[in-house]
Amino acid sequence: MPRVSGCSIRALWILNSQDAVVFSRRFPVVERRWRASCKSDVESGTVPLLPTDSELAAAFVDRKKREGSARGFGIRVPQSVEGSDSWVDDPITRHIISLHINKEEESANHLFWPFILHMKGHYCILVLPLVEPHHLRTYSRMCKRSDCGNAIGQDEGLSSLLLALPSITGAFMVAHVLGDIIMGDAQEPEVVVITSPSVGGLLDSLTGSIGISARAKPVAATVAASTTSNTTVSGSVLSDAPRIGSRTLDKDSLRTFISSAMPFGTPLDLSYSNFSAIKSNGFSSTDLPLSDRKQPAWKPYLYKGKQRVLFTIHETVHAAMYDRDEIPDSISISGQVNCRAELEGMPDVFFPLTGLDTTRVEVISFHPCAQVPEQGGEKQAITFSPPLGNFVLMRYQAFCGIGPPIKGFYQLSMVSENEGAFLFKLSLMEGYKAPLTMETCTVTMPFPRRRVISFDGTPSVGTVSNTEHAVEWKIITSSRVVSGKSIETTFPGTVRFAPWQTQRPNSSGYGIRGITDEDSDTELESTNNVVNVEEFLMEKMSKDLQSVDLEEPFCWQAYNYAKVSFKMVGAALSRMSIDPKSISIFPAVKAPVEFSTQVLSGDYILWNTLGKCPVAVTPKI
Amino acid sequence: MAKPPSSLKPLSPQEWETLMEDYQYGGTRRRRWTSANYTALPLLQLSLSSLLRKDFPLNLKLRLLVFLEEEYLLAFEESGLEIEQTLTLILDALRPLIQAPIDGVSITYSLKDQFMLSTTSIFITATSDAVPILPQLESLIELLLTVINRPNHGLDRQTRGVACECLRELERAFPCLLSEIAGHLWGLCQSERTHAAQSYVLLLAGVVHSIAMGKANVSILNTSLPLVPFNFPQFLLGENGWGKEISSSSYKELRRVMSFLLEWPQYLTPCGLIEFMSMIIPVAVALELQASLLTVQLSGLIYSFDPVLCHALLVLCSQFPDAFDGQEGEVANRLVLMSREVQHYLVFRLLALHWLLGFIGLLKDGEGRKKKAIIGMRLSFYPTVFDSLSLKSLKLDLLAYCSILVDASMSPGGHAVLGSDVIGSGVSVVKLLEDGLVSVSGFKWLPPWSTETAVAFRTFHKFLIGASSHSDTNRILMESTIFHTSERMLVDMVLEFQGLVPVMVSFFDRLFSCYKHRWLGERLLQTLDVHLLPKVKIDNRLGSYFPVFDRIAENITVPPIKLLELLTSFMFMLVEKHGPDTGLKCWSLGSRVLGICRTMLMHHHSSRLFLGLSRLLAFTCLYFPDLEVRDDSRIYLRMLICVPGNKLKHILNIGEQLPGISPSPQSSSFFSQSFSVSHESKKSRNISSYIHLERVASLLVKQSWSLSLSSVSTGGNEPSYLEGINDNEPPYEQREFDGNADVRTLPEMEITGQRQEPLRVMDSKISEIVGILRRHFSSIPDYRQKPELKIRISCSLRFQSEPFNRIWGFDLPANTLDEEDILPAIYATVLTFSSSAPYGAIPSCHIPFLLGEPPKSDYSLGQSDSFDIVSLENGTAEEYDFKAPVMVELEPREPIPGLVDVYIETNAENGQVIRGQLQSISVGIEDMFLQAITPEDVPPDAVPGYYLDLFSALWEACGTSSSTGRETFLLKGGKGTAAIRGTRSVKLVEVPATSLIQAVERHLAAFVVSVTGEPLVNIVKDGGIIRDIIWKDVASDSAIDVTISDPNSERGPLYLKYHDDEDERGSQVHFNKKEMGCFLILIFLPPRFHLLFQMEVCDVSTLVRIRTDHWPCLAYIDDYLEALFCV
Repeated sequence: MPRVSGCSIRALWILNSQDAVVFSRRFPVVERRWRASCKSDVESGTVPLLPTDSELAAAFVDRKKREGSARGFGIRVPQSVEGSDSWVDDPITRHIISLHINKEEESANHLFWPFILHMKGHYCILVLPLVEPHHLRTYSRMCKRSDCGNAIGQDEGLSSLLLALPSITGAFMVAHVLGDIIMGDAQEPEVVVITSPSVGGLLDSLTGSIGISARAKPVAATVAASTTSNTTVSGSVLSDAPRIGSRTLDKDSLRTFISSAMPFGTPLDLSYSNFSAIKSNGFSSTDLPLSDRKQPAWKPYLYKGKQRVLFTIHETVHAAMYDRDEIPDSISISGQVNCRAELEGMPDVFFPLTGLDTTRVEVISFHPCAQVPEQGGEKQAITFSPPLGNFVLMRYQAFCGIGPPIKGFYQLSMVSENEGAFLFKLSLMEGYKAPLTMETCTVTMPFPRRRVISFDGTPSVGTVSNTEHAVEWKIITSSRVVSGKSIETTFPGTVRFAPWQTQRPNSSGYGIRGITDEDSDTELESTNNVVNVEEFLMEKMSKDLQSVDLEEPFCWQAYNYAKVSFKMVGAALSRMSIDPKSISIFPAVKAPVEFSTQVLSGDYILWNTLGKCPVAVTPKI
Repeated sequence: MAKPPSSLKPLSPQEWETLMEDYQYGGTRRRRWTSANYTALPLLQLSLSSLLRKDFPLNLKLRLLVFLEEEYLLAFEESGLEIEQTLTLILDALRPLIQAPIDGVSITYSLKDQFMLSTTSIFITATSDAVPILPQLESLIELLLTVINRPNHGLDRQTRGVACECLRELERAFPCLLSEIAGHLWGLCQSERTHAAQSYVLLLAGVVHSIAMGKANVSILNTSLPLVPFNFPQFLLGENGWGKEISSSSYKELRRVMSFLLEWPQYLTPCGLIEFMSMIIPVAVALELQASLLTVQLSGLIYSFDPVLCHALLVLCSQFPDAFDGQEGEVANRLVLMSREVQHYLVFRLLALHWLLGFIGLLKDGEGRKKKAIIGMRLSFYPTVFDSLSLKSLKLDLLAYCSILVDASMSPGGHAVLGSDVIGSGVSVVKLLEDGLVSVSGFKWLPPWSTETAVAFRTFHKFLIGASSHSDTNRILMESTIFHTSERMLVDMVLEFQGLVPVMVSFFDRLFSCYKHRWLGERLLQTLDVHLLPKVKIDNRLGSYFPVFDRIAENITVPPIKLLELLTSFMFMLVEKHGPDTGLKCWSLGSRVLGICRTMLMHHHSSRLFLGLSRLLAFTCLYFPDLEVRDDSRIYLRMLICVPGNKLKHILNIGEQLPGISPSPQSSSFFSQSFSVSHESKKSRNISSYIHLERVASLLVKQSWSLSLSSVSTGGNEPSYLEGINDNEPPYEQREFDGNADVRTLPEMEITGQRQEPLRVMDSKISEIVGILRRHFSSIPDYRQKPELKIRISCSLRFQSEPFNRIWGFDLPANTLDEEDILPAIYATVLTFSSSAPYGAIPSCHIPFLLGEPPKSDYSLGQSDSFDIVSLENGTAEEYDFKAPVMVELEPREPIPGLVDVYIETNAENGQVIRGQLQSISVGIEDMFLQAITPEDVPPDAVPGYYLDLFSALWEACGTSSSTGRETFLLKGGKGTAAIRGTRSVKLVEVPATSLIQAVERHLAAFVVSVTGEPLVNIVKDGGIIRDIIWKDVASDSAIDVTISDPNSERGPLYLKYHDDEDERGSQVHFNKKEMGCFLILIFLPPRFHLLFQMEVCDVSTLVRIRTDHWPCLAYIDDYLEALFCV
C-alpha cells in the first residue's frame, strides 16, 4: 500500500540578496523520519546530514552559476548540463530546485531535492519538504537521463511525482506565508464599505476599532510595464505597513511563527492573522467556547459586538486591444468576493449565486469554509460559516459583461530613427450608466529601451507628462471623477528619443548566444536591403533584446504598446452583483448586509496598431 | 552526574547569539566553539541554567530552546553523551516550568510551549527506532498528559494544543505508545470545544492510525486504565500484543472512532486536514471502509481555492479511483480551471497542470473513453496572451498530449478504443500544433536567445517525439502527420528566418545526442538537404546557414553531393563578386566553407566526397581571392588526395570527439605535447630496423664495393681514392673537379704535365671523328653550370607496424572495424640524403603520409578469418598502401659507385617527431649508365645512325693510339672543355650465347647502338626488345667492323695471354667457337664519360672489348660484367 504522505518539512532557509543565509530552521523530528525511511530503503546509500548554512549557501551559489540565475533556465537550453534542473526541461524546475551539497567533511556531492524556491523582495526562501527516498531517486534519474528529454505522459515524469507529493504543495504554502511575513505583506484581503473606506482585519475586529482606525485609502496600482500578474488582486493594494528596504528581518517573530504554525516541521495553521492575534491577545477567561457547537481550528476567537456582513467585489480587467480585423480583442476579468462577517457565535451564511451569469463567469472557487453543493459550483447557492476578519469568499474568472471600459486605438509610427508620431483615439465608458464611475484613468506609453527627450502634442482631454522612459497621459484624475457618461478623446503627437545606443545584452539568456555573434557580416548586408525606417529600426533593436524570464508572458520590450490603468467603482464589469436581501443567516439575526464594488485594471494593453503584437489563438467552442 | 567544567564561563546574551549563529553556519566557525569545549553536556548544562535565569530576555530563551532542539543530534549525541543523563536534565528543567504559574515576564505560555516542543523533539531524536524503555519518557508523557487533561480550559488552550502535538509526535515516533489510553483521548476530543480541538482530534487520529496499522490488540473504548500515571503498554515490550489481524471487536471500535473522526474535516485548518487525511486514509483502507464515507465529506475540497486542499482531494482520488469513477472529467476540469485562475501564485497554476498530467496518467489504459474526454478539453488548453511563458509551455505540453491521443486514435489499433466520433470531429494534430505555437509566435523574429524561441522549440520536440518514450522499444511512425508537418514547418521557418538557424542546430543536436531519437534528427537533416538546399539564395547571407550545413556535412546519412554543389557555387559567387572592400568577408566566408569541407572530410568516406570536394578545393586554391583560404584549401586538397580514410579523420580531429571514431590517445596527446620536446633520441636509435628505404631494382653487384667505399669514406669526406690508386697517372679531370680554379687554364697545365704523345697528322677520317666528337661534347652539359644530368634511383619507403608501435608506445584500438585503424602511420616524412661519394647535392624527398605494414602474421590471419570483409582489393591495396615510392636523384661528378646515407624525419600520429638514420642505399656502377645525349638537331629517325657514328668515333678516340688524344672538346655552354684519354680492356665471358643475349636484352638494351652478324641479328630482332638500332649483316660489314673496332686488337698481349691461360679448358671452346655477331654498346657515364662495349658473341663464349675514357670505371665494369652474365 503506498504511504499517504502528509506535509512535513525537514528544514528551511532564508537567503539574502548576497546569497548569505540570514535565517535557517531545521526540524530534527522530520529529519529522523527521513533517515528512518532511508534506512528501510534498500537502495539508499549513506544518508547525508542536512547541510549547514554555509554549505547550503555555497550550493545555492553553485547552482546559480550553473543555471544562469537563481531560478535557473527552467527548460532545457543549450547551456543546460546533465544533472542540473533545467536538464529535466520543465518550467516548474524554476520553483522546485535541486542542490548539490558538498559536505565539508566528505568529498562526496549529495543531491538534495526538492527545495521549494520562493523569491520575495530581496530574499530567497528555500524549503525542503520531506519526501520518500524513492522520489529523490526518481528525480535524480530524471535530471541525469542521457536522452533528449521525456515525452509527455510518460510514467516516470515530473507530473506523476508532483501529484504524489502533497508535501511540495504544502511547502509552497509555507514559503509564501514566510515571504509575506518577512516583507510585511501578510495582510487580509480588503473589504471596502461606503461609510468607512476600508475596514481592518482580524485584530481590528478583536479590538473593536472598526471605523476608528482611519486606514489609508487604497491607491490604484501603479503602472508597472512588465510586472507579472501573479500577485493576487488584492495584492495590488498597498498597505500602510513599513515596506521593503527599511525593513530588517524580524527573526524572532519568524521563529515564533514557525514554532506555532508548524511545530515539529508539520504545518498546522498557516494563517498569520490568527497567529498574530493569539500572540498579541492570548486568551482570557471571557473567551468561552460555545456550549452547543465546536469551534473550528481556523476560528480561534468569536466575534462580539454589533453585527453586520460586508462584501466587496474586486475585479481586475486584463485586456489585449488590437484594433485589427484579423485579431479579435480579448478582455478577461478576474474577480473575487471579499467578505467580512461580523457575526456573533458560529452562524451559517446562505449566499445565492444567482447574480452570476454562467455564460460569462467560468471559474469559481471558494474559501474552504464554504460548503459547496456537489453538483458543481456554478449553480444554486453556497453556505458558509465565516471565519473572523476579512477573507476571500470566492474567486471567479469572467468575460466582460458590458463593453470594454476603454476602447480605441493607439498608433505609433517611427518617422525617423529617433522620432515617432503617435495617435490615440479612445472612447471611455461607452454605453456605461451610473452608478459605474471611473475614478482614475491613465494611459502610459512605456519606452523602456529608449530615452524620451521630448514630446509634442495636446490631448483633447487630460494632461500629459513624461519621464525618462515613458509618456504618461492622465485622462481622468480622482478630482474629476466621471460617472455615467462616456468620453471621446484623441491625442495626436510626436515623441523624440535620444539616439539609439546598442546595448549588448549581458545577462545569461535562454537560447543560443555566441554562435550568432560572428555573423556581423550578414548583418551588414541585411541592413542595406531594408528600406523602411521602421523595419530597419525594428531589426536593429531586436538584435539586442534580452530574453525574459519564463514568468513573463512574452518579451514586453519587443513591442510598442500603451498601457491603460484605471479604477472604477459602482458596479462590476462582469455584472456580478450581490443582492443583500437574498443573503440569509442561520440562526437568524438582524444584521445589515452591505456591498461595494471596485474594478481595477490589470494588464490593459493597447497594442500599437502599426506594429507587431503578441497574440494567442482564441479557441472557438 | 558530571559537574560542568569550571572553565566554561557563562555566556552573555550576545555571546549566545554568536554561538548559535556559528553553530548553524558550520565549518570553522562552529569548530571555534567546539574546540573551546562549548559542546556536549557542558553546553547543555550551560543552556539550561541560562534558560532559568530571570535576566535573560524571553526571545533569547525561545531561541536557545530551538537551538537545543536543532543541534541536539550534532552537538550532543555525537559526543557519546549518556542519553538518560541528558534527558533527565532536560526533564528536570521542564517540570517546574510547566507547573509554574504564568507571570507574563519570565514564565509565559510561549516559553512553556517552546520548552515542551523542544523537549519532545530532543526525546525523539535522542532515541532510536525501537521503543525506548526509559523512565524519562514515561515522565515526559505523564507531564504532557496532565497538560492536556483539562479540556475547555480557556486560558491555556493554545498550550494544551501544543501538548497534544507533542504527544502526537511521540506517538508517530513510537507507534502505539498511547494506544492503551486511546479511550481517554477520545473522551477529551469529545469534550474539547475550543479551536484547540484540532490538535486533540489529530492526536486521536494518530493513535488510531498506529493501532490500525500495527493491528494492536487493544480496546479503544476501554478507559479502565487511568490516564496518569502513565505506563508503557505492556504489549510493546513483548511480542504478543501485535495482532496478525484486527479482531472483530476492535474492528467495530475502530469503525466507531472513524465515524467520529470523519465528522471533523470542516473544523480543521487546510494544513490540519492534510495531516488528518494522511492518517485517516490508510486506516480507511485497512478497515476496508466504503470510500463513499470519505468522499461525502471531502469531495467538496475540489472547489476550494486552497491548493493544499485540492491536492488533498487528488490524493484521495488516486487512493480510491473507483470511488471517483465518473467524476474524473469534473476533477480534470477543475484542475484546468485552477490553472486559469490568475489570482493564484504562478507556481500553483503550474502545479495544477502537472497534477492534471499526473492525474491523466493514473487513468487506466483500458479506459479509452476517459482519455477521449481529454481530447474534448483541448480548447481549454490553449494558452492565452497574458499567460506566463512557463504556463504557455506547460499548456503546449498538454496540447502535445492531445495530439498523441489523436494520433493514437488515428492508428489502426486505436479505432476500437476511441471510436470514430473523435476522428469525425475533425481534430487535427496539425491544427493543435499551429494554433498552440501562435502564443509564442514571436520566436520567429525575436533573437534566437529569446525565451519564446526556447519554448517553441521545446514544444516542437514534444510534438515530434510524441508518444515515443525512451523506455519502450517501438518506433514512432515515421510517416505520422505531425512529423511531416514539423518537417515542413522547419524548412519554411529556416528559409524565412535565418536567425533560427542556431536554434535549429541545437535542436538537431539534442536529437542527435539521444540514442532513441537520433534517427529523427537524421531524417530532418535529410529533409533539409532535399528541400532547403535547392531553395536557399546564394548570396552573402548564406553564411548564416553554415551551422546547419555543418550538421549536414557531419552526418553520414546525408549524401554530401548537394551541399558540395551549393558550396561550390557559393565559392564561385564569392570569387565573382570579389571587390576591393570584400576582403575580410571573403576571408571569413571562405574559411568557414573550408571548415565545412573539413567536417565532411572527417565524417565521410573520402571516396564519396572525392569528386565534388576536390573540384571545390581545386577551384578555391586556384582562384579564391584570399591567400590564407587558398593555402588552406591546398592543404585540404593534398590531404584528400594523399591521406586515406580514418587517418585523415584523426589528423583533422582536433579537440573534438567524433562519434564514429574512437577517442584515440593521439588526439589528446596532440595537445599535451609540443612538437619540439617530443623527439626522443633513444627511441630513434634503432629506427633502421623497422623503417626501410629500399631500392626497387637491386644491384647486380651487391656487396663488395659498397664495403670498400664505406671504409674509405670514413677517412675523410674527400674522395681521395683516385690519387691513392693512380698517382702515376693523375687524371686531370679529377683535379679539375677538386680545384675550383679557372676551368680553361687548368686543362692546359694538366696537358702539359701529362705523358707526351706523338703528334699526329689529322687526316680526314680523324677530322671526321673529331667533328662527331665535338658535336657530341657540345651537347653534354657542364655540370658546374647546369646540373642537368641526373641519375635517378627508384626506391621505396616502408615501415613495420609492430615494432614501430612497440617502440613508440602507441596503443591503438584493436577492435576497430577498419583494418587501417589499427595500423600506425607517419606523416610529413622528410628523407634527406648525403653521400661521401661525389654525387653532388641530393635533393630531399617528402612523403606526406605512410601507413605501417601490418604484422605479417596478423594480416594473413585477418584475411583468412574474415575474407568477407577483406576483399581482393585489400590484397592489392597492400602493395600500394604500405610503400611510398621515393626517387633519389644524384648528380654524379664522377661515375663511381658509392653509398648514400639516408636520414629520416617524420611525425607520428600523436605529433611525436621521429628522427634517425636509415640504412644507406648503395649506388652501383650500372646506376650511372645513361644513354648518350642526342643533339637537338638530330631528327628522331636519324638517331640510330648518329649513335653508331658516335660509337665509332668514341671507339676510335679511346684507342690507346688515338689521334684525338690531344684534342679538347668544348662542353655545352662553351666554358668547360674535356679531353679524351682512352683506355681499353677485354673480357671473355664463358656463357652460352642465348643467356648472354638475354642478359643484354634485359640490362643493356637501351644502350645497344648496333648489332652485327646475321645469326645474332636474327636472334635479337626476333626478341623484339632491342629496337631502333642499326642492324648489319656480317658479310657486308665485318671488314669495316674490324677496322673500326680496333686495329690493334690482334696485338693486344692481354688477349693472347688470356687465351693461353685458358688453353687446356678453352681449346675446345676455341675450336667450337662460332662467331655469331657483335653487339655494339654505347654507354654514357655522367658527367661526361663514356663506356663502350663491343661484344663478339660466339655460341659458347663472348669476348667483350671495352673502351672508356674514364679508366677507373673499368674496375667496376669487370665485376659488373661477371655479375651480368654469370648470374
